[in-house]
Amino acid sequence: MQAFPHRSVGELVRFENVGLRYGVAAETLTDVSFSIEPQSFQFLTGASGTGKTTLLRLIMQALKPTRGTVVLFGQDTSLLEKDGLTALRRRMGIVFQDFRLLDHLTTYENVALPLKVQGREEVTYRAEVTELLSWVGLGDLIHAKPPVLSGGEKQRASIARALVAQPELLLADEPTGNVDPSLARRLLRLFVEMNRSGTAILIATHDLGLMDQIDGARRLVLAERRLYVEASDV
Amino acid sequence: MSENRPLKHGFFGKLRRLLPLFGRDPLVAADQVTDRALVAVVAILTFLAALTSGSAQFAAGTAMRWQVMMASEVTVQLKPQGARSIDTDIVRVSDILRGTAGISSVKALSRDESAKLLEPWLGPASSIENLPIPRLIAVRINTDQPPDLVALGKSISEVVPGASLDDHRTWTKRLGRLSDGFLTVSFGALVLVILATGLTIVFATRGAMAGNREIIEVLHFIGADDRYIAAQFQSHFAVLGVRGGLLGGGAAILLLVALKIGAAASLIGDFSGTPSTIFLDWGIILVTFGVIILVGLIAGAASRMTVYRTIGRLS
Repeated sequence: MQAFPHRSVGELVRFENVGLRYGVAAETLTDVSFSIEPQSFQFLTGASGTGKTTLLRLIMQALKPTRGTVVLFGQDTSLLEKDGLTALRRRMGIVFQDFRLLDHLTTYENVALPLKVQGREEVTYRAEVTELLSWVGLGDLIHAKPPVLSGGEKQRASIARALVAQPELLLADEPTGNVDPSLARRLLRLFVEMNRSGTAILIATHDLGLMDQIDGARRLVLAERRLYVEASDV
Repeated sequence: MSENRPLKHGFFGKLRRLLPLFGRDPLVAADQVTDRALVAVVAILTFLAALTSGSAQFAAGTAMRWQVMMASEVTVQLKPQGARSIDTDIVRVSDILRGTAGISSVKALSRDESAKLLEPWLGPASSIENLPIPRLIAVRINTDQPPDLVALGKSISEVVPGASLDDHRTWTKRLGRLSDGFLTVSFGALVLVILATGLTIVFATRGAMAGNREIIEVLHFIGADDRYIAAQFQSHFAVLGVRGGLLGGGAAILLLVALKIGAAASLIGDFSGTPSTIFLDWGIILVTFGVIILVGLIAGAASRMTVYRTIGRLS
Protein backbone atom coordinates (compact mmCIF):
# COMPACT_ATOMS: atom_id res chain seq x y z
CA MET A 1 0.00 0.00 0.00
CA GLN A 2 1.30 3.42 -0.85
CA ALA A 3 1.42 6.25 1.66
CA PHE A 4 -1.84 8.21 1.84
CA PRO A 5 -1.71 11.74 0.46
CA HIS A 6 -3.09 14.96 1.98
CA ARG A 7 -2.40 14.26 5.62
CA SER A 8 -3.49 16.62 8.40
CA VAL A 9 -0.64 18.35 10.11
CA GLY A 10 -2.53 19.24 13.33
CA GLU A 11 -4.17 16.99 15.89
CA LEU A 12 -6.74 14.58 14.51
CA VAL A 13 -8.63 14.32 17.78
CA ARG A 14 -8.65 16.51 20.86
CA PHE A 15 -10.82 15.95 23.93
CA GLU A 16 -10.94 18.72 26.54
CA ASN A 17 -12.53 17.88 29.91
CA VAL A 18 -15.12 15.71 28.27
CA GLY A 19 -17.79 14.19 30.48
CA LEU A 20 -20.62 11.86 29.53
CA ARG A 21 -23.59 10.71 31.51
CA TYR A 22 -26.63 8.72 30.50
CA GLY A 23 -29.78 10.34 31.84
CA VAL A 24 -29.45 11.33 35.48
CA ALA A 25 -26.97 8.60 36.39
CA ALA A 26 -23.40 9.36 37.47
CA GLU A 27 -20.95 10.21 34.70
CA THR A 28 -19.65 7.26 32.70
CA LEU A 29 -16.63 9.29 31.66
CA THR A 30 -15.28 12.23 33.64
CA ASP A 31 -12.86 14.97 32.60
CA VAL A 32 -11.39 13.05 29.71
CA SER A 33 -8.64 15.01 27.97
CA PHE A 34 -6.29 13.64 25.34
CA SER A 35 -5.30 14.10 21.72
CA ILE A 36 -4.36 11.90 18.79
CA GLU A 37 -1.62 13.04 16.46
CA PRO A 38 -1.45 12.19 12.75
CA GLN A 39 0.24 8.89 11.93
CA SER A 40 0.37 7.91 15.63
CA PHE A 41 -0.38 4.46 17.04
CA GLN A 42 -2.17 4.00 20.32
CA PHE A 43 -4.13 1.47 22.29
CA LEU A 44 -7.18 2.32 24.33
CA THR A 45 -7.39 -0.12 27.19
CA GLY A 46 -9.10 -0.76 30.49
CA ALA A 47 -11.19 -3.38 32.20
CA SER A 48 -14.51 -4.39 30.70
CA GLY A 49 -17.19 -1.76 31.31
CA THR A 50 -14.80 1.14 31.83
CA GLY A 51 -16.03 2.93 28.72
CA LYS A 52 -13.69 1.98 25.87
CA THR A 53 -16.51 1.57 23.35
CA THR A 54 -18.20 4.69 24.74
CA LEU A 55 -15.04 6.71 24.12
CA LEU A 56 -14.80 5.37 20.56
CA ARG A 57 -18.45 6.28 20.01
CA LEU A 58 -17.71 9.80 21.20
CA ILE A 59 -14.92 10.05 18.62
CA MET A 60 -17.07 8.69 15.80
CA GLN A 61 -19.85 11.08 16.86
CA ALA A 62 -22.34 8.36 17.67
CA LEU A 63 -22.58 10.04 21.09
CA LYS A 64 -22.41 13.65 22.10
CA PRO A 65 -20.60 14.61 25.31
CA THR A 66 -22.59 15.95 28.22
CA ARG A 67 -19.87 18.52 28.79
CA GLY A 68 -16.43 19.44 27.52
CA THR A 69 -15.20 19.89 23.98
CA VAL A 70 -14.52 17.35 21.24
CA VAL A 71 -12.41 18.65 18.37
CA LEU A 72 -12.03 16.45 15.28
CA PHE A 73 -9.64 17.38 12.51
CA GLY A 74 -9.45 20.89 13.92
CA GLN A 75 -13.21 21.42 14.08
CA ASP A 76 -15.30 21.78 17.23
CA THR A 77 -17.97 19.11 16.72
CA SER A 78 -20.55 20.99 18.81
CA LEU A 79 -20.62 23.67 16.12
CA LEU A 80 -21.01 21.30 13.17
CA GLU A 81 -24.17 20.59 11.20
CA LYS A 82 -25.01 17.06 9.99
CA ASP A 83 -23.26 17.45 6.65
CA GLY A 84 -20.14 18.60 8.45
CA LEU A 85 -20.21 15.51 10.69
CA THR A 86 -20.62 13.27 7.64
CA ALA A 87 -17.56 14.88 6.07
CA LEU A 88 -15.57 14.20 9.26
CA ARG A 89 -16.72 10.57 9.37
CA ARG A 90 -15.36 10.11 5.85
CA ARG A 91 -11.91 10.94 7.21
CA MET A 92 -12.20 8.09 9.73
CA GLY A 93 -12.28 4.34 9.29
CA ILE A 94 -14.13 2.22 11.83
CA VAL A 95 -13.62 -1.46 12.60
CA PHE A 96 -16.60 -2.60 14.63
CA GLN A 97 -16.25 -5.27 17.28
CA ASP A 98 -19.00 -7.29 15.64
CA PHE A 99 -17.76 -6.55 12.08
CA ARG A 100 -21.03 -5.05 10.86
CA LEU A 101 -20.65 -6.46 7.36
CA LEU A 102 -23.81 -6.46 5.28
CA ASP A 103 -24.76 -10.10 4.71
CA HIS A 104 -26.48 -9.54 1.38
CA LEU A 105 -23.40 -7.97 -0.21
CA THR A 106 -20.25 -9.74 -1.39
CA THR A 107 -16.91 -9.13 0.27
CA TYR A 108 -15.99 -6.86 -2.63
CA GLU A 109 -19.21 -4.86 -2.31
CA ASN A 110 -18.84 -4.57 1.47
CA VAL A 111 -15.30 -3.28 1.19
CA ALA A 112 -16.19 -0.87 -1.62
CA LEU A 113 -19.16 0.54 0.31
CA PRO A 114 -17.45 3.68 1.74
CA LEU A 115 -16.42 4.69 -1.79
CA LYS A 116 -19.82 3.91 -3.25
CA VAL A 117 -21.66 6.05 -0.70
CA GLN A 118 -19.37 8.92 -1.56
CA GLY A 119 -20.82 8.77 -5.05
CA ARG A 120 -17.77 7.40 -6.84
CA GLU A 121 -18.27 5.36 -10.01
CA GLU A 122 -17.18 1.76 -9.70
CA VAL A 123 -14.72 1.99 -12.58
CA THR A 124 -12.72 4.50 -10.57
CA TYR A 125 -12.19 2.22 -7.54
CA ARG A 126 -12.48 -1.37 -8.76
CA ALA A 127 -8.74 -1.86 -9.08
CA GLU A 128 -7.86 -0.38 -5.70
CA VAL A 129 -10.54 -2.39 -3.87
CA THR A 130 -9.32 -5.58 -5.50
CA GLU A 131 -5.73 -4.73 -4.56
CA LEU A 132 -6.74 -3.98 -0.98
CA LEU A 133 -8.59 -7.28 -0.72
CA SER A 134 -5.51 -9.10 -1.92
CA TRP A 135 -3.41 -7.18 0.61
CA VAL A 136 -5.58 -8.37 3.51
CA GLY A 137 -5.53 -11.92 2.16
CA LEU A 138 -9.07 -12.03 0.80
CA GLY A 139 -8.19 -11.94 -2.89
CA ASP A 140 -9.83 -15.31 -3.46
CA LEU A 141 -12.99 -14.41 -1.55
CA ILE A 142 -14.14 -11.25 -3.28
CA HIS A 143 -17.33 -12.96 -4.47
CA ALA A 144 -18.13 -14.59 -1.14
CA LYS A 145 -20.76 -13.21 1.16
CA PRO A 146 -20.19 -12.74 4.91
CA PRO A 147 -22.27 -15.73 6.09
CA VAL A 148 -19.74 -18.09 4.51
CA LEU A 149 -16.64 -16.27 5.83
CA SER A 150 -14.77 -17.31 8.97
CA GLY A 151 -14.43 -14.90 11.92
CA GLY A 152 -10.92 -13.93 10.85
CA GLU A 153 -11.99 -13.36 7.26
CA LYS A 154 -14.86 -11.18 8.38
CA GLN A 155 -12.50 -9.21 10.58
CA ARG A 156 -10.10 -8.65 7.69
CA ALA A 157 -12.96 -7.62 5.42
CA SER A 158 -14.10 -5.20 8.11
CA ILE A 159 -10.57 -3.77 8.36
CA ALA A 160 -10.35 -3.47 4.57
CA ARG A 161 -13.66 -1.60 4.51
CA ALA A 162 -12.36 0.79 7.17
CA LEU A 163 -9.23 1.40 5.15
CA VAL A 164 -10.50 1.61 1.60
CA ALA A 165 -11.25 5.33 1.67
CA GLN A 166 -7.73 5.97 2.96
CA PRO A 167 -8.79 7.46 6.28
CA GLU A 168 -6.53 9.65 8.36
CA LEU A 169 -7.68 7.94 11.54
CA LEU A 170 -8.67 4.33 12.09
CA LEU A 171 -10.73 3.32 15.12
CA ALA A 172 -10.85 -0.39 15.93
CA ASP A 173 -13.00 -1.81 18.70
CA GLU A 174 -11.57 -5.08 20.03
CA PRO A 175 -10.44 -6.09 16.54
CA THR A 176 -8.79 -9.27 17.81
CA GLY A 177 -11.46 -10.19 20.31
CA ASN A 178 -12.99 -12.89 18.14
CA VAL A 179 -9.90 -14.50 16.66
CA ASP A 180 -7.18 -16.89 17.80
CA PRO A 181 -3.76 -15.56 18.91
CA SER A 182 -2.08 -16.42 15.61
CA LEU A 183 -4.66 -14.50 13.58
CA ALA A 184 -4.57 -11.69 16.15
CA ARG A 185 -0.86 -11.25 15.46
CA ARG A 186 -1.50 -11.17 11.70
CA LEU A 187 -4.24 -8.58 12.11
CA LEU A 188 -1.96 -6.50 14.30
CA ARG A 189 0.67 -6.57 11.57
CA LEU A 190 -2.01 -5.22 9.23
CA PHE A 191 -2.59 -2.29 11.54
CA VAL A 192 1.14 -1.63 11.78
CA GLU A 193 1.37 -1.63 7.97
CA MET A 194 -1.51 0.81 7.78
CA ASN A 195 0.15 3.03 10.33
CA ARG A 196 3.36 3.01 8.30
CA SER A 197 1.29 4.06 5.30
CA GLY A 198 0.23 7.14 7.22
CA THR A 199 -2.97 6.28 9.10
CA ALA A 200 -3.24 7.08 12.79
CA ILE A 201 -4.47 4.02 14.67
CA LEU A 202 -6.53 3.75 17.85
CA ILE A 203 -7.23 0.18 18.93
CA ALA A 204 -9.54 -0.47 21.87
CA THR A 205 -8.55 -3.71 23.56
CA HIS A 206 -8.21 -5.32 26.96
CA ASP A 207 -5.60 -7.77 25.65
CA LEU A 208 -2.31 -6.85 27.35
CA GLY A 209 -0.41 -9.43 25.34
CA LEU A 210 -1.52 -7.75 22.12
CA MET A 211 -0.32 -4.36 23.30
CA ASP A 212 3.06 -5.76 24.30
CA GLN A 213 3.68 -6.76 20.69
CA ILE A 214 3.91 -3.15 19.52
CA ASP A 215 6.88 -1.20 20.72
CA GLY A 216 6.38 2.50 21.00
CA ALA A 217 2.57 2.46 20.94
CA ARG A 218 0.98 4.88 23.33
CA ARG A 219 -1.54 3.52 25.82
CA LEU A 220 -4.69 5.34 26.86
CA VAL A 221 -5.97 3.64 29.99
CA LEU A 222 -9.53 4.00 31.22
CA ALA A 223 -10.10 3.40 34.90
CA GLU A 224 -12.67 4.72 37.34
CA ARG A 225 -14.32 6.83 34.63
CA ARG A 226 -11.11 8.72 33.89
CA LEU A 227 -8.52 8.43 31.14
CA TYR A 228 -4.84 8.11 31.92
CA VAL A 229 -2.32 8.54 29.15
CA GLU A 230 0.85 6.50 29.36
CA ALA A 231 3.72 7.99 27.44
CA SER A 232 5.02 5.96 24.53
CA ASP A 233 8.39 4.25 24.79
CA VAL A 234 9.84 6.12 21.89
CA MET B 1 -17.66 -8.12 -9.14
CA SER B 2 -20.01 -10.63 -7.71
CA GLU B 3 -20.71 -14.08 -9.09
CA ASN B 4 -24.42 -13.56 -9.02
CA ARG B 5 -24.55 -9.81 -9.48
CA PRO B 6 -22.68 -8.05 -12.24
CA LEU B 7 -20.72 -4.87 -11.77
CA LYS B 8 -22.92 -1.79 -11.85
CA HIS B 9 -21.50 -0.27 -14.99
CA GLY B 10 -21.88 -0.77 -18.68
CA PHE B 11 -25.17 -0.75 -20.52
CA PHE B 12 -27.24 -2.60 -17.93
CA GLY B 13 -25.73 -0.62 -15.06
CA LYS B 14 -26.72 2.61 -16.79
CA LEU B 15 -30.15 1.22 -17.66
CA ARG B 16 -30.68 0.19 -14.07
CA ARG B 17 -29.76 3.64 -12.81
CA LEU B 18 -32.10 5.22 -15.33
CA LEU B 19 -34.95 2.90 -14.41
CA PRO B 20 -34.79 2.58 -10.64
CA LEU B 21 -38.32 1.18 -10.46
CA PHE B 22 -37.28 -1.93 -12.34
CA GLY B 23 -34.24 -2.83 -10.33
CA ARG B 24 -33.39 -3.22 -6.66
CA ASP B 25 -30.50 -1.20 -5.36
CA PRO B 26 -28.22 -3.77 -3.75
CA LEU B 27 -27.53 -1.56 -0.72
CA VAL B 28 -30.95 -2.45 0.64
CA ALA B 29 -31.34 -6.10 1.51
CA ALA B 30 -34.28 -7.84 -0.09
CA ASP B 31 -35.89 -9.60 2.83
CA GLN B 32 -38.05 -12.17 1.14
CA VAL B 33 -40.47 -12.59 4.04
CA THR B 34 -41.08 -8.99 5.08
CA ASP B 35 -40.94 -7.68 1.52
CA ARG B 36 -43.51 -10.23 0.35
CA ALA B 37 -45.68 -9.56 3.36
CA LEU B 38 -45.61 -5.84 2.60
CA VAL B 39 -46.44 -6.45 -1.06
CA ALA B 40 -49.34 -8.72 0.00
CA VAL B 41 -50.72 -6.15 2.46
CA VAL B 42 -50.46 -3.36 -0.12
CA ALA B 43 -52.07 -5.57 -2.79
CA ILE B 44 -55.06 -6.43 -0.59
CA LEU B 45 -55.62 -2.85 0.52
CA THR B 46 -55.25 -1.49 -3.00
CA PHE B 47 -57.72 -4.10 -4.22
CA LEU B 48 -60.24 -2.97 -1.60
CA ALA B 49 -59.59 0.72 -2.30
CA ALA B 50 -60.00 0.18 -6.05
CA LEU B 51 -63.23 -1.77 -5.54
CA THR B 52 -64.58 0.92 -3.21
CA SER B 53 -63.65 3.52 -5.79
CA GLY B 54 -65.39 1.48 -8.48
CA SER B 55 -68.49 1.15 -6.29
CA ALA B 56 -68.58 4.89 -5.62
CA GLN B 57 -68.28 5.67 -9.30
CA PHE B 58 -70.87 3.01 -10.13
CA ALA B 59 -73.26 4.62 -7.66
CA ALA B 60 -72.59 8.07 -9.09
CA GLY B 61 -73.00 6.92 -12.69
CA THR B 62 -76.18 4.96 -12.06
CA ALA B 63 -77.83 7.75 -10.10
CA MET B 64 -76.96 10.21 -12.86
CA ARG B 65 -78.32 7.91 -15.56
CA TRP B 66 -81.56 7.38 -13.66
CA GLN B 67 -82.01 11.11 -13.26
CA VAL B 68 -81.37 11.71 -16.95
CA MET B 69 -83.79 8.93 -17.87
CA MET B 70 -86.50 10.31 -15.63
CA ALA B 71 -85.96 13.86 -16.83
CA SER B 72 -86.24 12.76 -20.47
CA GLU B 73 -89.66 11.17 -20.06
CA VAL B 74 -93.06 12.54 -19.07
CA THR B 75 -96.37 10.75 -18.77
CA VAL B 76 -99.84 11.89 -19.75
CA GLN B 77 -102.62 10.24 -17.79
CA LEU B 78 -106.23 10.18 -19.03
CA LYS B 79 -108.94 9.31 -16.56
CA PRO B 80 -112.24 7.96 -17.94
CA GLN B 81 -114.81 10.75 -18.06
CA GLY B 82 -118.38 9.41 -18.16
CA ALA B 83 -119.67 9.08 -21.73
CA ARG B 84 -116.53 10.44 -23.44
CA SER B 85 -114.61 7.94 -25.52
CA ILE B 86 -111.23 7.54 -23.95
CA ASP B 87 -109.75 6.14 -27.17
CA THR B 88 -110.77 9.29 -29.03
CA ASP B 89 -109.24 11.42 -26.26
CA ILE B 90 -106.02 9.47 -26.53
CA VAL B 91 -105.79 10.14 -30.24
CA ARG B 92 -106.57 13.82 -29.70
CA VAL B 93 -103.91 14.23 -26.97
CA SER B 94 -101.39 12.21 -29.01
CA ASP B 95 -101.92 14.57 -31.95
CA ILE B 96 -101.33 17.61 -29.71
CA LEU B 97 -98.15 16.02 -28.35
CA ARG B 98 -96.81 15.07 -31.80
CA GLY B 99 -97.39 18.62 -32.94
CA THR B 100 -95.41 20.10 -30.09
CA ALA B 101 -91.76 21.04 -30.65
CA GLY B 102 -89.26 19.33 -28.34
CA ILE B 103 -91.05 16.00 -28.19
CA SER B 104 -89.20 13.13 -29.80
CA SER B 105 -91.67 10.28 -29.41
CA VAL B 106 -95.21 9.57 -28.24
CA LYS B 107 -96.44 6.10 -27.30
CA ALA B 108 -99.97 5.48 -26.09
CA LEU B 109 -100.32 2.38 -23.92
CA SER B 110 -103.18 0.09 -24.87
CA ARG B 111 -105.84 -0.89 -22.33
CA ASP B 112 -104.17 -4.28 -21.90
CA GLU B 113 -100.79 -2.65 -21.27
CA SER B 114 -102.34 -0.27 -18.73
CA ALA B 115 -104.15 -3.18 -17.05
CA LYS B 116 -100.88 -5.10 -16.89
CA LEU B 117 -99.26 -2.22 -15.01
CA LEU B 118 -102.02 -2.45 -12.41
CA GLU B 119 -101.84 -6.22 -12.16
CA PRO B 120 -99.67 -6.28 -9.00
CA TRP B 121 -102.38 -4.32 -7.12
CA LEU B 122 -105.65 -5.34 -8.75
CA GLY B 123 -105.00 -8.84 -10.03
CA PRO B 124 -105.15 -10.34 -13.58
CA ALA B 125 -106.33 -8.11 -16.45
CA SER B 126 -109.39 -10.30 -17.00
CA SER B 127 -110.71 -9.54 -13.51
CA ILE B 128 -110.57 -5.73 -14.01
CA GLU B 129 -112.08 -5.73 -17.47
CA ASN B 130 -115.06 -3.65 -16.36
CA LEU B 131 -113.18 -1.15 -14.18
CA PRO B 132 -112.54 2.41 -15.41
CA ILE B 133 -108.80 2.12 -15.83
CA PRO B 134 -106.83 5.30 -16.51
CA ARG B 135 -104.82 5.23 -19.75
CA LEU B 136 -101.25 6.38 -20.15
CA ILE B 137 -99.25 8.04 -22.91
CA ALA B 138 -95.46 7.76 -22.58
CA VAL B 139 -93.78 10.84 -23.99
CA ARG B 140 -90.02 11.09 -24.61
CA ILE B 141 -88.75 14.61 -24.81
CA ASN B 142 -85.68 16.13 -26.35
CA THR B 143 -83.65 17.13 -23.27
CA ASP B 144 -81.56 19.56 -25.34
CA GLN B 145 -84.63 21.54 -26.42
CA PRO B 146 -87.42 20.56 -24.05
CA PRO B 147 -90.95 21.90 -24.53
CA ASP B 148 -92.66 24.16 -21.98
CA LEU B 149 -94.17 21.35 -19.92
CA VAL B 150 -96.38 23.64 -17.80
CA ALA B 151 -98.00 25.20 -20.87
CA LEU B 152 -98.27 21.80 -22.54
CA GLY B 153 -100.02 20.29 -19.51
CA LYS B 154 -102.42 23.21 -19.37
CA SER B 155 -103.38 22.98 -23.05
CA ILE B 156 -103.92 19.20 -22.80
CA SER B 157 -106.23 19.65 -19.78
CA GLU B 158 -108.23 22.28 -21.63
CA VAL B 159 -108.73 20.11 -24.74
CA VAL B 160 -109.38 16.86 -22.87
CA PRO B 161 -110.91 17.16 -19.39
CA GLY B 162 -109.41 14.58 -17.03
CA ALA B 163 -106.06 14.54 -18.85
CA SER B 164 -102.98 15.50 -16.83
CA LEU B 165 -99.27 15.66 -17.53
CA ASP B 166 -96.83 14.25 -14.97
CA ASP B 167 -93.23 15.44 -15.47
CA HIS B 168 -91.87 13.15 -12.66
CA ARG B 169 -90.39 16.21 -10.96
CA THR B 170 -91.25 14.94 -7.49
CA TRP B 171 -89.61 11.60 -8.14
CA THR B 172 -86.60 13.16 -9.82
CA LYS B 173 -86.04 15.38 -6.76
CA ARG B 174 -86.42 12.45 -4.40
CA LEU B 175 -84.08 10.33 -6.49
CA GLY B 176 -81.59 13.20 -6.61
CA ARG B 177 -81.60 13.48 -2.82
CA LEU B 178 -81.30 9.71 -2.48
CA SER B 179 -78.43 9.47 -4.93
CA ASP B 180 -76.66 12.45 -3.32
CA GLY B 181 -76.84 10.69 0.04
CA PHE B 182 -75.67 7.44 -1.50
CA LEU B 183 -72.77 9.21 -3.18
CA THR B 184 -71.74 10.95 0.04
CA VAL B 185 -71.69 7.63 1.88
CA SER B 186 -69.77 5.91 -0.98
CA PHE B 187 -67.10 8.58 -1.23
CA GLY B 188 -66.88 8.77 2.56
CA ALA B 189 -66.21 5.03 2.56
CA LEU B 190 -63.60 5.52 -0.17
CA VAL B 191 -61.82 8.21 1.82
CA LEU B 192 -61.82 5.96 4.92
CA VAL B 193 -60.49 3.00 2.93
CA ILE B 194 -57.70 5.15 1.45
CA LEU B 195 -56.85 6.51 4.91
CA ALA B 196 -56.80 3.00 6.37
CA THR B 197 -54.69 1.87 3.41
CA GLY B 198 -52.23 4.70 3.98
CA LEU B 199 -51.91 4.05 7.71
CA THR B 200 -51.56 0.31 7.26
CA ILE B 201 -48.87 0.79 4.62
CA VAL B 202 -47.02 3.19 6.92
CA PHE B 203 -46.99 0.63 9.74
CA ALA B 204 -46.21 -2.30 7.42
CA THR B 205 -43.31 -0.35 5.91
CA ARG B 206 -41.99 0.56 9.33
CA GLY B 207 -42.24 -3.09 10.32
CA ALA B 208 -40.33 -4.14 7.22
CA MET B 209 -37.75 -1.42 7.91
CA ALA B 210 -37.05 -2.76 11.40
CA GLY B 211 -34.77 -5.41 9.94
CA ASN B 212 -32.76 -2.76 8.13
CA ARG B 213 -31.60 -0.82 11.18
CA GLU B 214 -28.12 -2.34 11.02
CA ILE B 215 -27.74 -1.40 7.37
CA ILE B 216 -28.72 2.18 8.17
CA GLU B 217 -26.18 2.27 11.02
CA VAL B 218 -23.37 0.90 8.89
CA LEU B 219 -24.08 3.29 6.03
CA HIS B 220 -24.25 6.18 8.50
CA PHE B 221 -20.91 5.44 10.13
CA ILE B 222 -18.99 4.75 6.95
CA GLY B 223 -19.83 8.24 5.74
CA ALA B 224 -23.11 8.06 3.83
CA ASP B 225 -25.13 11.22 4.25
CA ASP B 226 -28.73 11.07 5.41
CA ARG B 227 -30.19 11.92 2.02
CA TYR B 228 -28.25 9.11 0.34
CA ILE B 229 -29.43 6.52 2.87
CA ALA B 230 -33.02 7.76 2.75
CA ALA B 231 -33.00 7.65 -1.06
CA GLN B 232 -31.88 3.99 -1.06
CA PHE B 233 -34.72 2.87 1.18
CA GLN B 234 -37.27 5.20 -0.32
CA SER B 235 -36.83 3.80 -3.82
CA HIS B 236 -36.79 0.20 -2.53
CA PHE B 237 -40.03 0.55 -0.59
CA ALA B 238 -41.70 2.70 -3.24
CA VAL B 239 -41.03 -0.12 -5.71
CA LEU B 240 -42.53 -2.64 -3.26
CA GLY B 241 -45.57 -0.38 -2.79
CA VAL B 242 -46.09 0.02 -6.53
CA ARG B 243 -45.68 -3.74 -7.04
CA GLY B 244 -48.35 -4.45 -4.43
CA GLY B 245 -50.50 -1.69 -5.86
CA LEU B 246 -50.23 -3.08 -9.37
CA LEU B 247 -51.17 -6.56 -8.13
CA GLY B 248 -54.16 -5.36 -6.09
CA GLY B 249 -55.26 -2.69 -8.56
CA GLY B 250 -54.82 -5.08 -11.49
CA ALA B 251 -56.90 -7.74 -9.74
CA ALA B 252 -59.61 -5.15 -9.02
CA ILE B 253 -59.69 -4.03 -12.66
CA LEU B 254 -59.88 -7.66 -13.83
CA LEU B 255 -62.78 -8.24 -11.46
CA LEU B 256 -64.55 -5.13 -12.73
CA VAL B 257 -64.00 -6.27 -16.32
CA ALA B 258 -65.47 -9.68 -15.43
CA LEU B 259 -68.47 -7.99 -13.79
CA LYS B 260 -68.92 -5.81 -16.85
CA ILE B 261 -68.96 -8.81 -19.15
CA GLY B 262 -71.30 -10.65 -16.80
CA ALA B 263 -73.59 -7.63 -16.46
CA ALA B 264 -74.28 -7.51 -20.19
CA ALA B 265 -76.50 -10.56 -19.87
CA SER B 266 -77.63 -10.20 -16.29
CA LEU B 267 -80.49 -8.60 -14.38
CA ILE B 268 -78.16 -5.83 -13.32
CA GLY B 269 -77.73 -4.88 -16.93
CA ASP B 270 -81.44 -4.91 -17.56
CA PHE B 271 -81.98 -2.91 -14.41
CA SER B 272 -79.70 -0.05 -15.39
CA GLY B 273 -80.30 -0.23 -19.08
CA THR B 274 -76.68 0.56 -19.89
CA PRO B 275 -74.59 -2.42 -18.89
CA SER B 276 -71.59 -1.58 -21.05
CA THR B 277 -70.70 1.45 -18.98
CA ILE B 278 -71.63 0.36 -15.50
CA PHE B 279 -68.65 -1.41 -14.06
CA LEU B 280 -65.65 -0.11 -15.91
CA ASP B 281 -64.83 3.19 -17.39
CA TRP B 282 -61.72 5.32 -17.73
CA GLY B 283 -62.54 7.11 -14.49
CA ILE B 284 -62.27 3.89 -12.48
CA ILE B 285 -59.02 2.92 -14.21
CA LEU B 286 -57.55 6.38 -13.64
CA VAL B 287 -58.54 6.37 -9.98
CA THR B 288 -57.07 2.87 -9.58
CA PHE B 289 -53.76 3.99 -11.08
CA GLY B 290 -53.91 7.04 -8.84
CA VAL B 291 -54.30 4.73 -5.83
CA ILE B 292 -51.33 2.62 -7.02
CA ILE B 293 -49.08 5.67 -7.35
CA LEU B 294 -50.33 7.00 -4.01
CA VAL B 295 -49.51 3.68 -2.36
CA GLY B 296 -45.95 3.80 -3.76
CA LEU B 297 -45.51 7.36 -2.53
CA ILE B 298 -46.79 6.47 0.93
CA ALA B 299 -44.49 3.44 1.22
CA GLY B 300 -41.51 5.50 0.02
CA ALA B 301 -42.30 8.39 2.36
CA ALA B 302 -42.84 6.03 5.33
CA SER B 303 -39.44 4.39 4.74
CA ARG B 304 -37.81 7.82 4.39
CA MET B 305 -39.29 8.96 7.69
CA THR B 306 -38.12 5.74 9.36
CA VAL B 307 -34.58 6.24 8.03
CA TYR B 308 -34.42 9.79 9.39
CA ARG B 309 -35.83 8.67 12.73
CA THR B 310 -33.28 5.84 12.95
CA ILE B 311 -30.41 8.17 12.03
CA GLY B 312 -31.69 10.70 14.56
CA ARG B 313 -31.47 8.05 17.27
CA LEU B 314 -27.93 7.12 16.18
CA SER B 315 -26.77 10.67 16.88
